[in-house]
Amino acid sequence: MGHRILIVDDHPSFRASARVVLESDGFEVVGEAVDGASALHECCRLRPEVVLLDVQLPDIDGFDVCEQITAFAEHPTVIMTSSRDGSDFGPLVSTSGACGFVPKAELSGERVQELLGS
Amino acid sequence: MSGLRRALGLVAIEGIVVGIVALAIVLSSDHVGNRGVTATLALFIGWSFIGAGLFAWWRRPDNRFGVLMTAVGFAYFLSVLTASDSSLLYTLGVLFSSLYVAVFVHMLLAYPDGRIDSPQLRKVLAVGYPLSIVGPGITMLFADPSQLGGGDDEPESAIRLGTDPVVFDILDAATSALAVVIVGYVLYVLVWRWQAARQPQRRAMAPVLWSGICLLVVLAGQLTTEAVNGPDSLSGVTGVLGLLFFALTPFGFVFGLLRSRVVQAGAVSELLHKLGDAPDSTGLRDLLSRALGDRSLQVVYWLEDSSRWVDSAGQPAELPPDDDPARAWAPVEREGRRVGAIIHDRSLCEDDELVRSVAVAAGLSIENERLQAQLRARVEELRRSRARIVEAGTAERRRLERNLHDGAQQRLVALSLTMRLAQGRLRKDPEGAEGLLAGAQDELGRALEELRELARGIHPAVLSDRGLKAALEALAGRSPVPVDLDGTPPDQLPPSVEAAAYFVVAEALTNVVKYAHASQARVSVSRSNGHAIVEIADDGVGGADPDRGSGLRGLADRISALDGTLELSSPEGAGTLLRAEIPV
Repeated sequence: MGHRILIVDDHPSFRASARVVLESDGFEVVGEAVDGASALHECCRLRPEVVLLDVQLPDIDGFDVCEQITAFAEHPTVIMTSSRDGSDFGPLVSTSGACGFVPKAELSGERVQELLGS
Repeated sequence: MSGLRRALGLVAIEGIVVGIVALAIVLSSDHVGNRGVTATLALFIGWSFIGAGLFAWWRRPDNRFGVLMTAVGFAYFLSVLTASDSSLLYTLGVLFSSLYVAVFVHMLLAYPDGRIDSPQLRKVLAVGYPLSIVGPGITMLFADPSQLGGGDDEPESAIRLGTDPVVFDILDAATSALAVVIVGYVLYVLVWRWQAARQPQRRAMAPVLWSGICLLVVLAGQLTTEAVNGPDSLSGVTGVLGLLFFALTPFGFVFGLLRSRVVQAGAVSELLHKLGDAPDSTGLRDLLSRALGDRSLQVVYWLEDSSRWVDSAGQPAELPPDDDPARAWAPVEREGRRVGAIIHDRSLCEDDELVRSVAVAAGLSIENERLQAQLRARVEELRRSRARIVEAGTAERRRLERNLHDGAQQRLVALSLTMRLAQGRLRKDPEGAEGLLAGAQDELGRALEELRELARGIHPAVLSDRGLKAALEALAGRSPVPVDLDGTPPDQLPPSVEAAAYFVVAEALTNVVKYAHASQARVSVSRSNGHAIVEIADDGVGGADPDRGSGLRGLADRISALDGTLELSSPEGAGTLLRAEIPV
C-alpha cells in the first residue's frame, strides 16, 4: 500500500471523489491533471508510481497520452479509467501500454491494487 | 431614324457629286495617261468605300466604323486632285494624296466597333495623320520635278522652295522610314488581334482584317523600297497589287455582312428544323452552339419560384456581368415571361440580330428544358436538405452523447463512489457517512435536473401529453426574457407540425436570450389558408445572421421537410421576426 498516484481527468467532481476514495484506501495522491499535456508535465515533475488516466481528455486522446507516458525510461504504471465500460474500447487498453482498466463507478483502492499486482 | 436616313442620303449625294467632279478632273487632265482607266478606277474605289461605308453607317448608326469607311472614300477622291492641271489644285492633291491611307489605317485599327481605346494607337494616329501630309509635302517643297520621273506636262508645285536633291533625299528617306515603322507597327497590332481573337470574332473580322493586312504588307514593302532607292514614279501607294487589296476592302466588308445574314437565315431555319426533334439539354446546347458558331455557348434557365438561374442539371448558375470582356448573355422569353438565357461570346453582340433570332427560335425548347431543370433543381435541393437532415441527426446524437457523458453520467459516477465511501464509513464514522450522503443527495438532484433538461431537448413530454399550447406556455415560463403568448389555434395540428412549431419557438427563444438583448418577445401560432403560421418577434437589436449557427439551418430543413418555409427578418436595430409557414 501507499503507492504515489497521479489522477488525470477533466471532470472536477470525479477528481475530487477519486481522491477521497483512493486516499481512504491508503494511496498517496501526489497530484491532479486536467488534460493530456499537463498529465505528461506532472508525470515528469512529480514522478508518481501510478497514473489513473481518463480515456476522454479535452486535448489529447487518453490512449495516446498513455503511450507517451509508457515510452519514458522509468515510467509509472498507467491504469485507464472511464465512465464507459471497458468493452467499449476493445484491445486499445492493452496496446496502449496501460496495465489495466477500471470503470469510474467501480474505482477503489482495492481494484487498483489488484491491477498493480497482476 | 428618318433623320439619319436623310443625313445619309445627303452624304450619298455629296459622294456622287464629288465623284463626278473627280471624273471631270481626270478626263480633262493633260498629264494623266490612260485617262479612261484611271477615271473608272478612281470612281470605282471612291464610290465603293462611300457606298459600303454608308451601308455600315445605316446598319449600325452607333458604330463609327461606317463613318470612317465613308471618310476613306472621300479622302480617296481628294487624292484625285493630283490629276488637275491647275498648279494649286495639283499641289493640294499631292499634299493630301496619302491622307486616305491614314484614314484607312484608322478604320482598320477601329475595326470592328469603330472605337480606338488604346492610348498607344491614338498616338500612332496622331503621328500618322500629319505624316501623311508632311511626306508628300516634302516632295512639293524640295523635289526636282525631273527627279520624280513624272511627265513634262505635270504642273509645277505651287509651294516649291528649292530643288536641292540632297535635302530632298534626306527628308524623304526620313519620312518614309517613319511611315515604314508606323505601318509595321499597325501590321503587328492587326496580326496580334487576329491571333488573340476567339473563333466567332475571327469569323466576323476576317474579310476586312485580311484585305487590310495584305494592303499594309504591300505598302510596307513599297515604302521600304522608296526609303532605300528613292521615290519611283508611283505617287503614294498606287502599286497595282496594293490598289487591288485596297479596292477589295469595302467588298470584303459587305461580303462579310451579307454572308453573316445568309448564314444567319440558314442557321435559324436549320435550328428551327432540328428543334422539332425535341433535343435533350445537351442536344439543345449543341444546336444553339452550332447556330451561333460559339463552342463556349451555355444555356441557363430561370426558376421563377426561387428567382435564380440554374444550368440544365439544376445547379445554380450565374450570368456574366455587363462589363465582362469575354462573355455576354441574351434573354430568352416565352409569351412575355423570362424562361432562360443564352450565355455567349461577347463578339456575338455584333450579330445582335442573329442572337435574338436564335433566342426566339429556341424559346419553346428552352421553356421545356426549363421545366426539366426546375425539377432537377428541386431534386437537388431535396437531396441536399435530406443530407443535411441526416447530418443534423448525427450531430444531434453526438451532442446528446456528449451531454450525457459530461453531465449526468459524471455525476452518477461520482455519486457511486461517494455511496461506496459512505457505506464503508457507516459503522466506524457515522457522522462522516452522513455528510457524504448529504453531498450525494445534492449531486443526485443536479443529475436529475440535467437529465430532465436533456429529455426535454429530445422531445418535450408536455407536447405529446398536453399539446402545443401547454408546451409553449412551459417554454415561455422558463424563458428569462418575458414572453407574450398570443394564442394557439383551437384545432389540434398534426404531431409533426406541432413538434416543428415547438422547436421553431424553442430555438427562436434561445436565440432571443443569447443574442437579441431584447426586453420582451411575442410568440403566436395561427392557422390560415391551410397553413400553420408560427411567428416569434422580439424588440431586440436585430441584425441576426441566418447563417450564423446550425440551429436555424437545421430548423429550415425540418420545416422544408414538411414543405414549409422559414423566413427571418432582422433589420439592424429593429428587432427580429422569425416566421414559419407549414402546410397542414
